[in-house]
Amino acid sequence: MHTETLVLGLGNPLLQDDRVGIRAVELLREQLIPVPTEVLFTVGFEVVDKVMGRERVIIVDASTTGNVPGTITEVSVEDIFATHTLRNSHAMTLGTTLKTGYTLFPDRMPKDIKIMLIEADDIDHFSDRCTPDVEQAVHDVVRRIIGYIA
Amino acid sequence: MKKIEINPITRLEGHGKIAIFLNDDGNVDEAFFQVVELRGYENFLQGMPIEEVPRTVSTICGVCRGVHFTSAMKASDQIYGVEPTPVAKKLRELFFNAHYVEDHAVVLYALGLPDFVVGPEAPAAERNLVGLVKAVGAEIGRDVLTKRASAVKIFEMLGGKPIHPVAAVPGGWSKKITEAERQQLIAWSKDLVELGKLTINVFDKIVLQNPKYMELVTGDMYKVTTNYMGTVNEKGQIAYYDGIQKVVDPKGKEIASFTGKEYLDVISERVVPWSYLKVPYLKQMGWKGIVEGAGTSLYSVGPLARFNVGNGMDTPLAQEAYEQFMDTFASRPVHYVQAYHWARAIELLNAAEKCFQLAQDPELTDPNTRAELGKVTGEGVGITEAPRGTLIHHYKTDDKGIVTNANLIVATTHNKGPINIAVRKAAKHFIKDGKVDDGILNYIEMGFRPYDLCLACATHAVGQAQTPLSIDVFDSQGALHKTLNNF
Repeated sequence: MHTETLVLGLGNPLLQDDRVGIRAVELLREQLIPVPTEVLFTVGFEVVDKVMGRERVIIVDASTTGNVPGTITEVSVEDIFATHTLRNSHAMTLGTTLKTGYTLFPDRMPKDIKIMLIEADDIDHFSDRCTPDVEQAVHDVVRRIIGYIA
Repeated sequence: MKKIEINPITRLEGHGKIAIFLNDDGNVDEAFFQVVELRGYENFLQGMPIEEVPRTVSTICGVCRGVHFTSAMKASDQIYGVEPTPVAKKLRELFFNAHYVEDHAVVLYALGLPDFVVGPEAPAAERNLVGLVKAVGAEIGRDVLTKRASAVKIFEMLGGKPIHPVAAVPGGWSKKITEAERQQLIAWSKDLVELGKLTINVFDKIVLQNPKYMELVTGDMYKVTTNYMGTVNEKGQIAYYDGIQKVVDPKGKEIASFTGKEYLDVISERVVPWSYLKVPYLKQMGWKGIVEGAGTSLYSVGPLARFNVGNGMDTPLAQEAYEQFMDTFASRPVHYVQAYHWARAIELLNAAEKCFQLAQDPELTDPNTRAELGKVTGEGVGITEAPRGTLIHHYKTDDKGIVTNANLIVATTHNKGPINIAVRKAAKHFIKDGKVDDGILNYIEMGFRPYDLCLACATHAVGQAQTPLSIDVFDSQGALHKTLNNF
């Protein structure tokens, strides 16, 4: 059991490609991969609560950066940390929460954090399934995760 | 006429914008806050068993998950004609108040306080949560996040599942509590009370003792005079989980009260040509337009509205802070929107004290957490005070409890009219002779930030969440004159 590694899937399970992180965790669980997993429907401070105390964390989330749907990107906390003033508390970003965690708890946050983004095609419609290209990308991400934790 | 356009939000249920129109002298003539709310869930819920609805609506928003869950659960009680058992009600209230603490903490520390701590004219790159931590010190930041995590732990333990609650059942609560768990709840609740006291102290030092910031809190540029709606208990004190909904006019006189389906007799909605979102108003007054002052039919909800509707708090430390709040302003109701943040800080303490009171109740371990279901009534209205304001979930079902119709009214919808006025007044005060810059842009945003708009929550994909903001300035001929960005 890879207890030192946590795979954290982020997304809304009901909104098509926004659910890629949830889907990745579903696949890991279906394949009985022995790694702790968690899902969150939010990118608030609950993310910090979940990753704190772990040596190594892999986060899977959707992106809408203009890439081809299904594109997999690996980014750092600094890459996704934005310094904008918030318009509302719902606009909290994954980068902001992680950066805050590392600022306040440098000794307790994961030393190794991998953030894997899958470019979404459709996050506007209700569905408990991803679009085909994005679903394929989730399988690719899961293979990469299995490789990382092997 | 010049047109200044602030395009802040391009996310799923709320791609909105602010358009500011200048007259030929370069001063503000009019301003509009435009927003599109997500209505998809109302259709999506149709055909679903009502007992499944709380778990589903909790995904409407990653932040407000617990309040949608609770309103839908209360509606399901009515649809099954059942009253929750006493212990179930206490467990629900403890869950709900813990949710209040963690939500109010995030809003205050991530959204409200950076304006005051880092300064309203500070560069946007510093006027944020990380800037706040640098300004107040990492020790306080660590303390806040650590104690706030205790609220999340209560939410998780009682909700029956990490983060996303599943414990709702019509007439009850599926998670039973052991004595050991109750002792843990007491310990976590103590943390929350300490967080509440700390927050009151931080607000006092940073805002209340700073005359310049108090000018913003008590200044007419952020004064919006409307009616107010909120929920009170049988003593008239502010209530969150349950109570009677009450409305007061701009002078503080009670003009309406209602429960459940009676909201339809009190609230009406007006279609306006410049927005997809209807503007709610008080039916008894008739539509008067987006206007403030005596006779307006607009009403506000949220922490400040609750302070104006209620006669106090039901816990000792929060009551003390409430009295200080009311003594600070010359008269009540208090119409200054920056006071929303102060009211939010006091409510955080109040909710924390309630958690502590509820956790100490030995009855919490009573295993009788569910009442027998009654006959399906076919209709239920669940009303709670969400942290941002009154939240109404109204469902109709067939005789098997399958949803046939759903209507959800959220706080940001209630506040649509007042937010427009807040933006208009701030713009008129700060934009002179056509001069706008990043600092002025922030002062205008401070007009709507206290309401903490619930616009962007159902998705959070990376690349979407930054809500970039730009102002396009058009000359009197409609040509683009200047663009300002804060990203």
